[in-house]
Amino acid sequence: MSGTPAEVVLEVRNLSKSYRAGHLRARLRPALKDLSLTVRRGEIFGYLGPNGSGKTTTLKILMGLVFPDSGSATILGAPLEDLSWKYRAGYLPEQPYFYDYLTAREYLDYVGRLCGLPVSVRRERCARLLELVGLGHSTDVPLRRFSKGMLQRVGLAQALVNDPDLVILDEPMSGLDPLGRRLVRDIILDLRRQAKTVFFSTHILSDAETLCDRVAVLRAGSLVATGHLSEILNLDVSHYEVLATGGDLDPLGGWPPGVRGHEVLGERVRLEVAEEALLPALEHLRDRRGRVLSVNPIRQSLEDFFLAEVAPREGAWELQD
Amino acid sequence: MGASGLTRILAVASNTYRETVRERVLYNLVVFAFLMTLSGLLLSELSIREDEKIVKDVGLAAMDIFGTLIALFIGVGLVSKEIDRRSLHPLLSRPLRRRELLLGKFAGLGFTLLVNLGAMTAGLYLTLFATGRGPEPQLLKAVYGLYLGLLLVVALALLFSTLTSSVLAAVCTFSLVVAGRFSDVIRGMQDVIPGAPTWLVRLLYFAVPNFRNFDFKAQVVYGDPVPWAGLAWVTLYAAAYGAVALSLAEAALRHKDLP
Repeated sequence: MSGTPAEVVLEVRNLSKSYRAGHLRARLRPALKDLSLTVRRGEIFGYLGPNGSGKTTTLKILMGLVFPDSGSATILGAPLEDLSWKYRAGYLPEQPYFYDYLTAREYLDYVGRLCGLPVSVRRERCARLLELVGLGHSTDVPLRRFSKGMLQRVGLAQALVNDPDLVILDEPMSGLDPLGRRLVRDIILDLRRQAKTVFFSTHILSDAETLCDRVAVLRAGSLVATGHLSEILNLDVSHYEVLATGGDLDPLGGWPPGVRGHEVLGERVRLEVAEEALLPALEHLRDRRGRVLSVNPIRQSLEDFFLAEVAPREGAWELQD
Repeated sequence: MGASGLTRILAVASNTYRETVRERVLYNLVVFAFLMTLSGLLLSELSIREDEKIVKDVGLAAMDIFGTLIALFIGVGLVSKEIDRRSLHPLLSRPLRRRELLLGKFAGLGFTLLVNLGAMTAGLYLTLFATGRGPEPQLLKAVYGLYLGLLLVVALALLFSTLTSSVLAAVCTFSLVVAGRFSDVIRGMQDVIPGAPTWLVRLLYFAVPNFRNFDFKAQVVYGDPVPWAGLAWVTLYAAAYGAVALSLAEAALRHKDLP
């Protein structure tokens, strides 16, 4: 992106929330601590953190389902208490439960009515969205007969029923098979092409790496890092991964200095090679009549970041999400 | 362009109506009510002169009992069940205020009860026609009183439903309805417990809704007139108590966390 910064569509300022735990000797357990973040128009923003880190609590506060102890937020320029922004936003809750006596079409129609959509728009949009999420053949089946993955798809469709400018998704890939996850990824990318903003929580790091422009990482209710992936991660190549096969590849000896690790995978050998040792390592492979299958530059991944920054304090995660 | 508050209330109400008519418990209760009305026909055979009174009495009692059960058992689940199942989450993320949700639920179940009472009234009239009786408009006044009482039961059920679980809400609502049907006992409490403070007796008497006010069955069955002024008064009474119950429910739900 270039030029002036895009309009802020979501701004969270110093949000804190504690839950009461226990009955007789109730104590407060902090779920969110002084959270501040900003999401701009057109971004796909990933909200990351392990289970219990406060992601869902944040989204529920934004949606008006739970109330913060302190702090404030604006969505699409309006304070949370104002209903006006809800006409322009869509939300998929985590593990959604819908009225099982309704069909998918009836449910979407109901949500459309709450958004004030006229009948003709509702009819067209319900059919189109159910087709989009792969439920075109199940529009008139009661939701009680839907699988978990199908309900997740209904949840995504209802989040889009008002053609929202901002889509907030809580663990959108949850309960989906690989095809479903691919579908959700495609829908999120398509929303970006339409200049919509997507704010989604996940603990599946590969999804975030594939989709997000910016991310925020949460640990035990506190923000650990926020920004573009390039700002959070060290994207310099740390080493190369070389996969080779054939020839006389003795994994135990003769490798030039800089080959840090080697591992036999069936008939293949996987090598971890420092940048300065790449050419000697490839020449060594050629001399041994080995065949190079792939050479991949390795950068720090979100998973590496998580393992380094978040995992060591796992004991502090026991909070209500 | 957004929907008005009324549009949203009507959307919730129509969905609640759809939900209730798809509830199996409703049909069970309606079938029992019809069976009880028909049993009045059999009982009337036992009496030569009182047959019409018996049919009316049993028919109105069936509407009262089963209407109350429908209002209670469906009413207590309308909010608490949705909180437990989290089905409110996607709805409240829409431009829907919590008070609109409550009013929509109230209106939806109120309409279901109206349809049920209408069907049962038609059944009662058919039963009367079957025994050779003509149309009797007075009967509608008793049904109207019943309906007001049922609306108040729904309001109370919704109130308890926002405060506690379905089971506890059912117990509380049932207790209040029973107490309200024996309000004379509350007023005469000092005869039974001489030491009971007068202020407490008065407080209980006025705090517990007097469901006897809505009961015009005896007057209609015995052919006594039911004055319009009396109906107007109980309408105001039901509106006032219903408004208080729904306001308390709204206050309880307004700042409730829905985790």
